[in-house]
Amino acid sequence: MVAPRMDSSLPAQPNLRLTIIAADGLYKRDVFRFPDPFAVATLNGEQTKTTTVIKRTLNPYWNESFDMRASEESILAVQIFDQKKFKKKDQGFLGVINVRIGDVVDFSSGQDQMLTRDLKKSTDNLVVHGKLIINLSTNLDAPPRGNLAPGNNAGAGRPSMGTPAGSSASGFPGAPSPAHTPGPPGPSGAPMPNGGIPSGPTPGHAPAAGSAGPSAGGSQANGGPGRQNGTFSSFEDAQGRLPAGWERREDNLGRTYYVDHNTRSTSWNRPSATGGGETQRNNERVANTQVERQRHQERTLPEDRTGASSPSREQQTAATNGGGNAANAATMMATGATTAGTGELPPLWEQRHTPEGRPYFVDHNTRTTTWVDPRRQQYIRMYGGQNANNTIQQQPVSQLGPLPSGWEMRLTNTARVYFVDHNTKTTTWDDPRLPSSLDQNVPQYKRDFRRKLIYFRSQPALRILSGQCHVKIRRSHIFEDSYAEIMRQSATDLKKRLMIKFDGEDGLDYGGLSREFFFLLSHEMFNPFYCLFEYSAHDNYTLQINPHSGINPEHLNYFKFIGRVVGLAIFHRRFLDAFFIGALYKMMLNKAVSLSDMEGVDADFHRSLQWMLDNPIEGVLDQTFSTEDERFGQTQVEDLKPGGRDIEVTDENKKEYVDLMVKWRIQKRIDEQFQAFITGFHELIPAELVNVFDERELELLIGGIAEIDVDDWKKHTDYRGYTESDEVIKFFWQTIRSWDGEQKSRLLQFATGTSRIPVNGFKDLQGSDGPRRFTIEKQGEVNNLPKSHTCFNRLDLPAYKSLDQLQTKLTMAVEETMGFGQE
Amino acid sequence: MANSQRRITKELAEVTSDPPAGVTVSLANESNVHEWNIMMDGPPGTPYAGGKFKLLLVLPTDYPFKAPTLNFKTKIWHPNVTFDEKGSMCLGMLKGDVWKPSSKIMSILTAAQQLLVEPNPDDAVEASIAQKFKEDKAGFIKEAQEYTKKYAN
Repeated sequence: MVAPRMDSSLPAQPNLRLTIIAADGLYKRDVFRFPDPFAVATLNGEQTKTTTVIKRTLNPYWNESFDMRASEESILAVQIFDQKKFKKKDQGFLGVINVRIGDVVDFSSGQDQMLTRDLKKSTDNLVVHGKLIINLSTNLDAPPRGNLAPGNNAGAGRPSMGTPAGSSASGFPGAPSPAHTPGPPGPSGAPMPNGGIPSGPTPGHAPAAGSAGPSAGGSQANGGPGRQNGTFSSFEDAQGRLPAGWERREDNLGRTYYVDHNTRSTSWNRPSATGGGETQRNNERVANTQVERQRHQERTLPEDRTGASSPSREQQTAATNGGGNAANAATMMATGATTAGTGELPPLWEQRHTPEGRPYFVDHNTRTTTWVDPRRQQYIRMYGGQNANNTIQQQPVSQLGPLPSGWEMRLTNTARVYFVDHNTKTTTWDDPRLPSSLDQNVPQYKRDFRRKLIYFRSQPALRILSGQCHVKIRRSHIFEDSYAEIMRQSATDLKKRLMIKFDGEDGLDYGGLSREFFFLLSHEMFNPFYCLFEYSAHDNYTLQINPHSGINPEHLNYFKFIGRVVGLAIFHRRFLDAFFIGALYKMMLNKAVSLSDMEGVDADFHRSLQWMLDNPIEGVLDQTFSTEDERFGQTQVEDLKPGGRDIEVTDENKKEYVDLMVKWRIQKRIDEQFQAFITGFHELIPAELVNVFDERELELLIGGIAEIDVDDWKKHTDYRGYTESDEVIKFFWQTIRSWDGEQKSRLLQFATGTSRIPVNGFKDLQGSDGPRRFTIEKQGEVNNLPKSHTCFNRLDLPAYKSLDQLQTKLTMAVEETMGFGQE
Repeated sequence: MANSQRRITKELAEVTSDPPAGVTVSLANESNVHEWNIMMDGPPGTPYAGGKFKLLLVLPTDYPFKAPTLNFKTKIWHPNVTFDEKGSMCLGMLKGDVWKPSSKIMSILTAAQQLLVEPNPDDAVEASIAQKFKEDKAGFIKEAQEYTKKYAN
């Protein structure tokens, strides 16, 4: 393998962490014996790193990390050899993979990339077989997988590891139960593995117009602004038809702009459908899809992230709570450190495995054994109420002494500690030796998504059943194939380990394929061309159920299918690349919709209804309890209540009218569709379990939490009444930067109505009237909370005097208010 | 009768019986109360005087909860009207966030007329016309008159 030497361009410090995880299905070159494989990694033929040797296996598991210096141009080669034959001519060569770093890693965005590649032959053409799984990470601060420490290459530290590796169906012995979704091998706390991204062709996912039956005519009749364009549908103009997937719209000034549904982006320029333009657009589309896919794969939930990021927030909260409140009561909180458990074991500790492969720990100091990984020790923090400085004392849980009588500590199959009370035959996550935070009158943090998530996922109804659920689809027909596959299986079958297979592609589903599957399918099934969902009037990208989906006689089956898919994604911990209007999440939680939800659906309509409540209307409005619905050019009168078209709206009954109108606009006219959708959803996710979340948490549960680029956000922010150099603006960005992904997402939801970021970043943020950048306006008294106007992506920020004040007020507004204008 | 039609019919009766000076109103199509043809005389004392302008008023299904749209079908050279085949008019009271369900079509027509008398160059949709209006009033008047002759006869 020849590669140019690029040493001059390499950084002085390591910037890339390579983890060689495992190989799967190596070629068996000898009839009677297995190879002793080890891996050799080089970057541009230099910086040679070698793993330990694993004895007698075709499925070696190393999980060893190496920090290297790389540039985008660097070529990484990982070769597998058989140690028994290493001195022979062919060195016992078992295969190689070559990866150009720039193709898989983006140094600017810091990430973790899991790759599964087929092993390739070298020049001497020996037969090779199998796959190699590696991970590339630019985050070198994270605890490394396996042992990075020198001296560990002896391999003596974990002799038993090799055994489960060969037998585990997932290929990750870190996940002892084959039925379980493979998590990151070892509790490294790294973000979810991104799985092998199939490098196959990117499908254009624009359905040909007309293939879905009613395309142009159907969508146009939805009352889009395109109507004003006289004889042209919104998919054509005087120059002819727009390219597939494009739609023409007008902003409130009548200026024409173009929506590209393929990439979900907008442009002032008319797309040209001809020649080179098409190719270029195709390339752009592919590139955009890739960006979206990348972003989709980077989504996480708080349960998945490293323990290191959460204490800061709890610390903050606790500090706020601690302020002399609750007398002497000690506020105790687990730091969440249970999820981390890496690095070296304490002195004289040893990890062993039971014959079943379950790890346990021997403490030679005390000659005791425990299931609990000492590195995974739960620390508790004690906040003394009397202590003015709120100093935090940490103490390990093991110092709490033995469990109460009749209690037992156990581990779930994800190695999470839980407690069994044999007295009452109940289980709990809470350590009985700790004072339950629920018992105390200490102010509780209002909302803790992470805890809810852990509770939610621990429920038996959400446990993956034994067996496998095979879903085989063609990329080119992902919607129809998925429909057939997912509807033919029972809900019980769908709860088995999901194995996605793309027709004509090799590749086992280690997570990457199902991620890709949900990514592609969400782009397809929510595509407005199918008339099942449409974009809300609020912006161009949040989706709502299309009230006129009945044009497709099969629509209710499709809604049931989509409900199943949403449930399936949650069940198997995958994310959809789709965001709904807030009201739909509320409906999924069986919460009543209210006038404020109307804002996310149609801001102008919301404003008028609000005006109606605030002003005398008699003799002004002349309304009855009815409304008009336009279906494909035909206007029909709908009563809001029986005989409504003959009942006058008066100042006395206008509240009822507004309520009925909101229900009708948001709920009633899509009731059939929604019932079908929610039936499918509940087949996988029981209502009583999902109800622990609020609507904004549900959005995150379905869509995941995106990495938010604060620099990009800041760069595309406008100010009204402020300048970027104002103190309070500096406080603002300082605060945002200190927040974790979930909090940033919540702020985005608060200010823009959705946590979705446009594919090209904040510069493409949409408001209800076309492009609208994020805006911070000087507004309000410093005693008040910030307010938001989601239709304009605007945050009204009072000129707070200190960082502290801003943090407190902003956190409170984001956490506790439901979006629009609350004080 | 349903909501918007009822109110629209009432307003149509009002406007046809007592129209603002220099304005006549008719339905673009007798079976559809949602589209109105407006004929507006250029107000006297303005460069548009002598011209006859045709406008189209479209009342949405959600009227009066949603604002109507008003477009010049006759081309007009004015800072607040797009100088193209659409003739979109930037009328403050018709903006989504300003519109009130109590606003009447009569007042829209009056406001449109008033905008011809007093252009609002600070909220212009045609920046070059606004500039001319601000910097070279005589030149603006002359040019506007020429376009009025050319298009609005």
